[in-house]
Amino acid sequence: MRRIRKKHFLFATYDDFEKAKEVVGELNALDDKEDIIENIELYSPIEHPEVNDMLGEFHQPIQRFSFFGGITGTVLGFIFAAGVGQSMFTVQPQGGKSVITFPPDIVIAYEMTILLGVLSTIAGFLIYAGLPRRVKSYYDHTVGVDQIGIEVETDPKNNEKIRATLESCGAIEVRELTS
Amino acid sequence: MSLSRMLENWSRLNQKDYYKDEPIMWGMSIDLNKCTGCASCVTACNAENNIPAVGKEKCGSGHTMSWMRIERYWDSPEGEPDLAVEESEYPERGAHFAPMMCQQCNHAPCEPVCPVAATYHNPDGLNAQVYNRCIGSRYCGTNCPFKVRYFNFFDYQEDIPHPMEMLLNPDLTVRSKGVMEKCTFCVQRLRNAKGDQADKGIRGHVEDGAVQTACQQSCPTDAIVFGNLKDGESKVSHAWESHGVELNRHEQFNAEGERGYRVFEELNVEPSVMYLDRVRDTNA
Amino acid sequence: MSDFKMKDIEWAKINEDVLASLESPRKAFWIVLAVCFALVLCGVAAEIYQYNMGLGVALMNNPHYWQTYISNFVFWIGMSHSGTLLSAILLLTHADWRKPIYRFAEAMTFFSIATAAIFPVIHIGRVWDMYWVLPYPNQHAIWPNFRSPLLWDAFAITTYATSSALFLYIGMIPDLAICRDKAKGWRKKLYTAMSLGWMGRATEWIAFQKTYVLMACFLVPLAVSVHSIVASDFAMSMMPGWHVTSFPPYFVAGALYSGCAAIITLFVLLRYLFKFEAYMTPEIMDKTARLTFAIAMAWNFLNLSEYASIWYSNDMFEHEMLIDKFTGPYAGIVWTMLFCATVVPFAMAWKKVRVNMWAMFVISLLIQLGMWLERFQIVSPPLASNHEPWTQVAVWPGLVQMTITAASFGWFTMLFLIFCKVFPSVSMYEVKEMVYHRNKHGKKKLQDLDKIKDDMIKTEEGLS
Repeated sequence: MRRIRKKHFLFATYDDFEKAKEVVGELNALDDKEDIIENIELYSPIEHPEVNDMLGEFHQPIQRFSFFGGITGTVLGFIFAAGVGQSMFTVQPQGGKSVITFPPDIVIAYEMTILLGVLSTIAGFLIYAGLPRRVKSYYDHTVGVDQIGIEVETDPKNNEKIRATLESCGAIEVRELTS
Repeated sequence: MSLSRMLENWSRLNQKDYYKDEPIMWGMSIDLNKCTGCASCVTACNAENNIPAVGKEKCGSGHTMSWMRIERYWDSPEGEPDLAVEESEYPERGAHFAPMMCQQCNHAPCEPVCPVAATYHNPDGLNAQVYNRCIGSRYCGTNCPFKVRYFNFFDYQEDIPHPMEMLLNPDLTVRSKGVMEKCTFCVQRLRNAKGDQADKGIRGHVEDGAVQTACQQSCPTDAIVFGNLKDGESKVSHAWESHGVELNRHEQFNAEGERGYRVFEELNVEPSVMYLDRVRDTNA
Repeated sequence: MSDFKMKDIEWAKINEDVLASLESPRKAFWIVLAVCFALVLCGVAAEIYQYNMGLGVALMNNPHYWQTYISNFVFWIGMSHSGTLLSAILLLTHADWRKPIYRFAEAMTFFSIATAAIFPVIHIGRVWDMYWVLPYPNQHAIWPNFRSPLLWDAFAITTYATSSALFLYIGMIPDLAICRDKAKGWRKKLYTAMSLGWMGRATEWIAFQKTYVLMACFLVPLAVSVHSIVASDFAMSMMPGWHVTSFPPYFVAGALYSGCAAIITLFVLLRYLFKFEAYMTPEIMDKTARLTFAIAMAWNFLNLSEYASIWYSNDMFEHEMLIDKFTGPYAGIVWTMLFCATVVPFAMAWKKVRVNMWAMFVISLLIQLGMWLERFQIVSPPLASNHEPWTQVAVWPGLVQMTITAASFGWFTMLFLIFCKVFPSVSMYEVKEMVYHRNKHGKKKLQDLDKIKDDMIKTEEGLS
């Protein structure tokens, strides 16, 4: 696919999450005033629930995947056992017992609920986390160890302003990147 | 195909007695009073059904195959059967024989537990075992209260010396290792009899006495009676009637002179085999 | 609390330590691995022999159709339950001490299922037709029997193996990314493929955490159902001694119990082999031991109530069976089981024992012996004391059965050790989280207390 225009980034690393939090606050304030930032991305070695407030609420309804996956599993499991398995293909009913027997069907439906629920939860995870994907060429290994990375997508002409903001909060390193 | 089967299944969904309308239900009656414990039934069964003789060594390790077995119990002086008491004054008088084979239960515990449906109830009231389908999980065996299922722990037919395989009955299979087997009421004979009737144009009726099981045939005292329980004229249904044994009961109410019972009736497995209790003159 | 020491570990040090475990274990590691591999080979030889000769060589007979293959199956399925307990239940209850040890517990879950799944195959008579228990459309137009608890087993094991493998894998992705950043050669390729391009972006983390909790919510009821289904293999039958209503909870408790003991065993083993002294601290062992003790008491209660319900019931056959268990040919097994699983856990009442690694190692092995015997005494004695008096004979497992049993232990340990060598067996990101939150919240709580005190003083002043 041909790119229409190259993206331009500034990438800064911090050794403390508090600093990163501060700088994101400042960047947001800057963006409100001048509207120069396209996107902010935060890289961290551990999970910080606070990013929901900092970067705006993430819309990731994975629980819906779990719910509907589970429901589908229940229905399919029951139809499979009771409908397909027992009533349509049963050659010989056993010992004169009824054709559709609820205890086993409930067990099978239960297991299928969980199986499909788990699988669709993972599908939801992959969709909303944007995985699998290629690792970006400029990906900094230190964010896997102990540093917080802030990646700001912006127009090259705003470089200086943003660099100043990033550095004001004690960035260890600020890099300019294009892709 | 499947839709019509589903509709058929659906219409019989809550039918209490599934095979009510079938003309045949094979049953048996064994008179323990007549049984002498001679074990000729066991021998006949082995010969008819290609049951291997496993030899002394495997017999010792419990790998015996005998669809029919004669269980020998001893009466203790009080009249209670007890295995341990063998030292009564006349031990030979205390022996109590019970030929035990698959009881062809109508509520068979072995059927619902088989994972591949290798054992099922056929319309003739037999508890059929499909050797081809059996994978040998042995769940049926553990769940059988009579422990009359026999598992092929080895490939026994390989031990048959050369010309002896000519003795095998061609009417039924030789089972390989890893398959469960059990008494079939000599189903090959039953099928032949039904086939003969069908050739004459009669369906759904086999004349009483036209077919005999191997054990019945060889019993010198005629202790075993076999036939169609749904045929009111048959010997076996007479025997059931006259000794007060009915289906769908888990305890028989025997009147004076009636001595019929079914083994482990309280488990509600509905065996098709009735036993007649032994009568002894305890004062002699 | 002394285990708050853990907050002093540097994050970079965590990465180094855990990644080092992938490179240079102690020499004992290779010895253990070789022994396990030898055991597996013995087991394979025994299975080939049994396959060619028939199951009779395992010395099962009519009517003693089931024996150690089934008890091993139950044992290994049971063992897998504690991994789920530690990772899922303790995750949902926010017990953060689980973090350094849950990864290997999850791996244990998966590999014990992998071991358990082999036993039905070894057990059945015609291995080559095993796939008939799977519900697949076929030209015979016949489906498996949905009424059979063995078929429910097939469903439950499939679900459990899939879900626990995915749970283990998903939880490992951030760590795989760290490995990818540091590794070279074939490891680099493996980790790159498996980490799915994880970069620690905020989107990824938020989705990750949500998924992890959701999966834990699925896994807890799943684990309970799996062992209840295994219990219904017995409880659904008519055999005296198996036909016990309380079997499902009893089995679940027993599963958690033996699983916790297994976690302790592996805890000590890993700590020694991979030099994880800084992570797997005596404090965590203390907590695991307390948990084990609590579960041991639950199991004991259910065990006693099973005996009591049989004793006070009016079932002659069950009664006989119970007496036969304690006095019959299998009495030695039952009493050893009661000693190992009922008496031995009381040693954990002392803190000195709980924090002593080698003492706990011995205790956990004894408990596992007891729990293995428990499964044996569930399966075997009822077959020797059931309705039909004619068939009451005690049968002991032969050499083939015992070899395959030993091989299953070798197989499990081998898979587990290989896993620990290839994948990080301590969760790096969760340990970092633990360190981070303990640092942060430790301070925060103190500040809050000061604030509350100030407020109280102010209000008091205002009142006066």
